[in-house]
Amino acid sequence: MSNATLERPRPRGRSAPGSAEAAPRRRRSGWWLLLAPILAFDVVLFLTPLGKLVGASFADNAYQRVLEDPLVVRALVNTLTISLASTIVTVVLGYIIAMVLWRAGTVTRVILFAVVLLPFWTGILVKNFAWAVLLQDNGIVNAFLQGIGLTGAPIPLLHNRFAVIVGMVHCLLPYAVFPIFSSLTSIDDRLGLAARSLGAREGSVFRRITLPLSMPGISAAGLLVFIISTGFFITPVVMGGPGDMMIANQIDYYARQLTDFSGAAALAVILTVMVSILVAVYQRVLKAGGQHEDN
Amino acid sequence: MTAFRSTPFDRRQLLKAAALTPFAGLALSGCAAKPAESAAANKTVTVTSYGGSYNDQLTQTILDPFSKKTGIQTTLLANTSLAALKAQVQSGDVQWDLVEITAPEYEVAVAEGLLEKFDYDIISDKGLPGYAKAEYGIKYLSFLFVMAWDQKVISDAQAPKDWAQFFDQGKYNTKRSVYNQLSDSSVLEAALLADGVPFDQIYPLDVDRALRVLGQHPGKDRLLYHAANQEPIQQLTSGEVSLSTSFNNRINAARHDGAKLNFSAENAVLAGDYFVVPKGAKNKEAAFKLMNFMSNDAEAGAAFDKVTNLTLANTPALSKLPKEIADTLPTSPRLADKILVRDDKWWSQNLKKTEQQFKLWQAS
Repeated sequence: MSNATLERPRPRGRSAPGSAEAAPRRRRSGWWLLLAPILAFDVVLFLTPLGKLVGASFADNAYQRVLEDPLVVRALVNTLTISLASTIVTVVLGYIIAMVLWRAGTVTRVILFAVVLLPFWTGILVKNFAWAVLLQDNGIVNAFLQGIGLTGAPIPLLHNRFAVIVGMVHCLLPYAVFPIFSSLTSIDDRLGLAARSLGAREGSVFRRITLPLSMPGISAAGLLVFIISTGFFITPVVMGGPGDMMIANQIDYYARQLTDFSGAAALAVILTVMVSILVAVYQRVLKAGGQHEDN
Repeated sequence: MTAFRSTPFDRRQLLKAAALTPFAGLALSGCAAKPAESAAANKTVTVTSYGGSYNDQLTQTILDPFSKKTGIQTTLLANTSLAALKAQVQSGDVQWDLVEITAPEYEVAVAEGLLEKFDYDIISDKGLPGYAKAEYGIKYLSFLFVMAWDQKVISDAQAPKDWAQFFDQGKYNTKRSVYNQLSDSSVLEAALLADGVPFDQIYPLDVDRALRVLGQHPGKDRLLYHAANQEPIQQLTSGEVSLSTSFNNRINAARHDGAKLNFSAENAVLAGDYFVVPKGAKNKEAAFKLMNFMSNDAEAGAAFDKVTNLTLANTPALSKLPKEIADTLPTSPRLADKILVRDDKWWSQNLKKTEQQFKLWQAS
């Protein structure tokens, strides 16, 4: 790779094998017992129920039944389109915030970090209901728009697709900011200096150096955000309309309203498989990004 | 390092022991649970209902006096659902003893074999009105599905007289909040009443026609959905909507708490809920004793009817009520020709299909 020539000097000895630290070790028998608590936890509380769920999903022709349900098809389409839209908005906003963080002085950086992290620590219900209060017909936003004469009557801001995406982006932002920020900080400052010394303008420094070198961060953030988006449940309920229900809502509807447990299980397995594939892709992207930096 | 050798455990043994502790805990919890439960059986009863103001009223008028009289402690939960009942029965770990479900859900639960037969040796049926007694439960409660309004925006004089007015977008420029499920709400019936169908011709329900009517008045984008019984109270008092469907007791409770809301009992829909006992309930006898108390104790029943404005399936209570209260109850003969009686039979056969159609219509 051409980037290899631009390698930063690295501290010596980090990757030297067989050095002093590899002294003869005591044979440690039974080390696996240290894994026992997490193993017990995983087997009893995660793998067993998951196995039961998969088992239940094969009863009563559940897959065929749910996939023939137009509501499920719609929920799947909604899940993909809402997740994609939220991801694009989140990554663009996250990139802007990460850029500002990257270029900011220490004090501004601390304040900005707090601003980004605060929603991260706030419960999703609280965030969504706060948005619902702001966006409803007699909420602050509509009152403001009517107050300055921009609109004559309340415009529908809540219980639609727009509101769902607003609510989701608010929850997802930290997941985009941090991967992008970390890929920005690993860019060698001297590259920008070199480019400018050769007469490059800010725009082309960004387009030809910063953006390509932060691509691993962008794709990691994008995938992470998309993966989290596909599992949203409460935001479509609080902020969406009946046409914005996602796959998690459909699982709830099958389990609670229709008491069709095998159908709900089949939907859960479909969602799990979809997300698992994405997680596998995500890890490849991370690895590729890591290699890129290490070259 | 060597210091550890002198202690009875060395570090590695200690770690091993610590690592295995969760397994021991699991093994112990498996064998300890059973005897403790059977010793305490029928000294307590776990009841589930819909929560909010109603749960407070149920505790105050029925459960507390029952505990005082029998010494059986009651726990009232707010998250009743047929799905949770079914999951408990299927997993063999039944936590609930007495569960409130809607009338169509009762039929579903009976068909799926999820319920214990009611023991009418423990429950005296003397106090039960004819409609209430069933093989696997008691239709213990009658309530009215009503139109409600925010008095701050719509005065009682301007309030809708019937469902046609309720849905008329020309008359009230507000969104209408309606329940998002059909198992105990009657929004489709309301739509047909608005379209001029007389009470005695509502069933079998013409679902397509009802949805067509709702799509025209007030129109899909003027409908807001609520998912819980207490939600319309919040939507009405916050000014998000000025009209909503609700239940008579919820509006009464909110009025009692000072909310400026009102409802009309005319053109309401009379519906009911069952109390049932899940198959394998741990305190089944205590649950039946509670049902016996609920159906026959005149004092408790009258207190319940008075506080909730609902009819408990408890005939002795009616004689204890002053006339002005008896007249406002959902089952009052005074209302009989002004309200629609929900057809549980039709709903039990068509609930899932109709629910699906309603959801699809909402989403499209």
